[in-house]
Amino acid sequence: MTPVVNTPAAGPVRRSRGAKLLRAMRRAPGPTLCAIVIIALLIYAFVVPLFSLNPFEFSGMSVLDSFIPPAWMADGSPDFPLGTDDQGRNLITAMAYGMRTSIIVGFLSVTIGLVLGGSLGLIAGFVGGKVDAFIMRVADVQLAYPALLLAMIIDGAARAVLGTERSVGTAIAIVVMSIGIAFWVQYARTIRSSVMIERDQDYVSAARITGRSNLSIIVLHILPNVMAPVLVIATINLGIAIITEATLSFLGIGIPVTSPSLGTLIRNGNNFLQSGEWWISVWPCLILVLFVVSVNILGDHLRDVYNPRLRGRS
Amino acid sequence: MSASDFLILNHVSKVYRRNQSLLERLKKNETGGTKAVSDVSLTVHHGETMGLVGESGCGKSTLARLVSGLMAPTSGEISFPPNAFGNKPRLQMIFQDPYSSLNGRWTIEDIIAEPIRVHKLRNGRTAVRARVDELLVQVGLSAADAEKYPQEFSGGQRQRICIARALAGEPEFLILDEPTSALDVSVQAQILNLLRDLQKNLHLTSLFITHNLSVVRIMADRIGVMYLGELVEEATSEELFHKPRHPYTRLLIDAAPDMDTSDRSLHPIAGELPNPAFPPSGCRFHTRCPFAQDICRNTVPPQKATETGGMFRCHFDLDLSNASIFPPAAKVKTA
Amino acid sequence: MINAPAPLLDVRDLTVTINRDGKLVTALDKVSFFVNPGEVLGIVGESGAGKSITGAAIIDLLVPPLKRTGGTITLAGTRLDQLSPKAMRSVRGGRIGFVFQDPMTSLNPVITIGQQLCDTIQAHLKLGGNQTKKRALDWLDRVGLPNPDVQFKRYPHQLSGGMRQRVVIALALCADPALVIADEPTTALDVSVQAHILELLRDLHRESNVSMMLITHDLGVIAKMADRVAVLYAGRVAEISPVGELFNAPKHPYTRGLIRATPMPSATGEMRLDQIPGAMPGLGAVPPGCAFNPRCFRAEGDCRATIPPLYHEESSAFSCFHPLERVTA
Ligand SMILES: Nc1ncnc2c1ncn2[C@@H]1O[C@H](COP(=O)(O)OP(=O)(O)O)[C@@H](O)[C@H]1O
Ligand SMILES: Nc1ncnc2c1ncn2[C@@H]1O[C@H](COP(=O)(O)OP(=O)(O)O)[C@@H](O)[C@H]1O
Ligand code: SF4
Ligand code: SF4
Ligand SMILES: [Mg+2]
Ligand SMILES: [Mg+2]
Repeated sequence: MTPVVNTPAAGPVRRSRGAKLLRAMRRAPGPTLCAIVIIALLIYAFVVPLFSLNPFEFSGMSVLDSFIPPAWMADGSPDFPLGTDDQGRNLITAMAYGMRTSIIVGFLSVTIGLVLGGSLGLIAGFVGGKVDAFIMRVADVQLAYPALLLAMIIDGAARAVLGTERSVGTAIAIVVMSIGIAFWVQYARTIRSSVMIERDQDYVSAARITGRSNLSIIVLHILPNVMAPVLVIATINLGIAIITEATLSFLGIGIPVTSPSLGTLIRNGNNFLQSGEWWISVWPCLILVLFVVSVNILGDHLRDVYNPRLRGRS
Repeated sequence: MSASDFLILNHVSKVYRRNQSLLERLKKNETGGTKAVSDVSLTVHHGETMGLVGESGCGKSTLARLVSGLMAPTSGEISFPPNAFGNKPRLQMIFQDPYSSLNGRWTIEDIIAEPIRVHKLRNGRTAVRARVDELLVQVGLSAADAEKYPQEFSGGQRQRICIARALAGEPEFLILDEPTSALDVSVQAQILNLLRDLQKNLHLTSLFITHNLSVVRIMADRIGVMYLGELVEEATSEELFHKPRHPYTRLLIDAAPDMDTSDRSLHPIAGELPNPAFPPSGCRFHTRCPFAQDICRNTVPPQKATETGGMFRCHFDLDLSNASIFPPAAKVKTA
Repeated sequence: MINAPAPLLDVRDLTVTINRDGKLVTALDKVSFFVNPGEVLGIVGESGAGKSITGAAIIDLLVPPLKRTGGTITLAGTRLDQLSPKAMRSVRGGRIGFVFQDPMTSLNPVITIGQQLCDTIQAHLKLGGNQTKKRALDWLDRVGLPNPDVQFKRYPHQLSGGMRQRVVIALALCADPALVIADEPTTALDVSVQAHILELLRDLHRESNVSMMLITHDLGVIAKMADRVAVLYAGRVAEISPVGELFNAPKHPYTRGLIRATPMPSATGEMRLDQIPGAMPGLGAVPPGCAFNPRCFRAEGDCRATIPPLYHEESSAFSCFHPLERVTA
């Protein structure tokens, strides 16, 4: 019998998760800052509404306080640091509500795109042949339309079918579906190419010889190995989805005014830009850009970290 | 068919079709593709290790995948005659690349436990874990390694893990496709010795594939030699090395440099390995064979049985037991 | 060594470090050896032993994170380690030719092989156009490419692996180098092609009397090709011996372990396979004292405390406190 072989001294040094995270953060201060900004904005969007009345319901408004500029300007009031809008809503509270809607819509639509595109990509890559050819042709056709245009078409079609009498929930659901469907192709393509690599790996052959079914091979073996790159894309797409939703809302075909998103706020503020009340649209714009840019920088960084060709170099 | 037959390959062929473009499919022209395995007939007996050697591209891995059931043959049959229990024997396979054969997202425990769970060979978490620990120790690792991930192991250690996983399935038949070709010599020796111990103790029937003649000589009871998809000779280990019947076998044995420093002669095989997609006519070896005659270029040589139960495919009954009988034609300067 | 000929290449205490996140790890630790004029020095060891780095350090091809941090390299009296990068470029391919495992690393895929040969000849020999082409054709013929006129105009991808390696050998030798460094020249090839390439290298070596450093992990190749052999282990020299002595009476326990672990039929045809326990330590994990001590059956206290120096004894050298005695088979 052979003697027990020692673990190779060349093996990686084992570090605790916390220590690893600290090390990664020290190496990438920019993305770390972005992560902090994102967390701060998330807290802002989800905590502020817990402690304030919804200014978009009647009880939260007071028309007397309308058009108050930010606190440091003449006529400003220390009660409203960033000013108020035409209905006298405190912009700090209003934006928290708007941001919350934007993030929820973005997150849900990315999830839908991910699930839809992910499953189709898995099937295309694993089954191959005619099924693959069909799915990828559909994807090619869809790519010929800009995602925004496509979302508008789907949105319009859904409204035509469901009629104009809709609850807020339905409206949000339609927007979420439209954006999700508009973005599935990217996930499908990425997953498909990773699946095609993984399915030919020997560990998959070994599982098959052992008697695993195709479904359990996909779920247990392949899925965990192909998720990292799409999760990175999903992060970046979160920003794009939020922008898309804002654009739809700005055009007036997205979220209704009674449950505003950042896009609705910007649209509303746009009406007063000419008359000098710039703050009503500029603050939502800034917060939107801050969030989206932070998400994108973090996503880009994650992509570099997960890029297999760059991995192991450091 | 005798009672000791375990696996029978009957005129097995496998053609890889080229990926045709739409245009080509419309034009309906059959380009044929690569005949990676061509008309191979072979019997493996209970408890023996059948070796398979040949240069790269000769179809060894394809044959392994056919036997393991990962692919279906284009023609011919592969059968396991029913054993006492009447069902298909349990298979396991060990691959060449120790990096791609372990799922990097699974712990060693889960990897080794997979065949146990799938075949329900043990019941309950603790019983499975105990079996995993036992297997780890059996292949020369320690039970503490069960919680680690494959990335933490060297190539040789990964190959031990692959062996443990294969044994976990309690296989009746083990297919080994170049299990030590990616390893350094000192590690290869460890793995070969481990496999030899297992052969002896577990009475495994196995198919051992390699391009290294010395390795197959150590490991196999009988050896088949492949050239461009064909099985050109098959004999017991002893006989194959002492009295090869096919010129390719003789030349292959001589071509690998040994460690004898007193005789420093080299023995290249004339010519180049032809493209397996377009094998030569007649005897596939005729472009490189120092004994080739006109008949070899036109007629496919028959399979001839030897009196000791072996087989070879050559038009002539040549005496090749001596290494130094070669005509000077073997020194043709092309490669 | 009093009456030995002056070596062509003399490497002393060559040290190479790798920068890993700012931490310096030793990859080559004071490697010393020499190559005599007209000699084939085999360099053998398992993967990761530092063979390729040794070859690359001599022709100054190390790229970060690798860096030569010590030692001298002398080629026929010239200190290569002190040359300017420009002077080094003319040595590379001129005084020293090289052949790598993968022929495509030495060949430019978009230039015909004939043109590549002409470029190399012109850069180092300063011949006229006609003479250059004649020499290039002559080399294609010498390395055994059929129809040199036809091959001259072909691109690397139109040739088989064996043919490409022949072209690389022609490139390495066409400028009349004093030394050729061949790093695993046959490892990527099949056995039947390998023997062709080895035979070619041997023929050309005999004709031109060029010195050669033949790097390989294959003891069979070493036995057939080398005059003397340096065994590397974990970035250090374990033993340097004439080839017959190395195989028949190795001094270093690792040398013998390596030989016995190689599956080869003995003269009687009986197969024997002795293993060395454990594995070669990775970079930065070399144990104190002799790098081989955790795997060595002769290891004693001193092996674990001190790095054994290279002891010279007649024609061989070894770094071991308890070398194997000369035993007759
Ligand atoms: N998936 C595949 N598609 C097309 N051709 C293949 C495929 N796999 C192998 N081949 C071809 O079949 C022949 C035999 O390959 P293989 O069985 O891998 O040989 P070996 O294992 O002996 O090196 C080779 O010519 C190879 O190029
Ligand atoms: N560019 C590099 N970066 C980091 N480590 C390297 C690099 N090149 C080689 N090494 C390491 O140096 C050691 C010796 O390498 P090498 O000389 O290539 O070994 P071999 O003997 O197999 O040719 C190995 O452990 C290898 O991992
Ligand atoms: S049939 Fe002819 S070419 Fe083929 S191996 Fe025999 S002698 Fe050689
Ligand atoms: S110095 Fe000691 S440990 Fe090293 S090889 Fe010699 S006997 Fe073995
Ligand atoms: Mg193979
Ligand atoms: Mg190397």
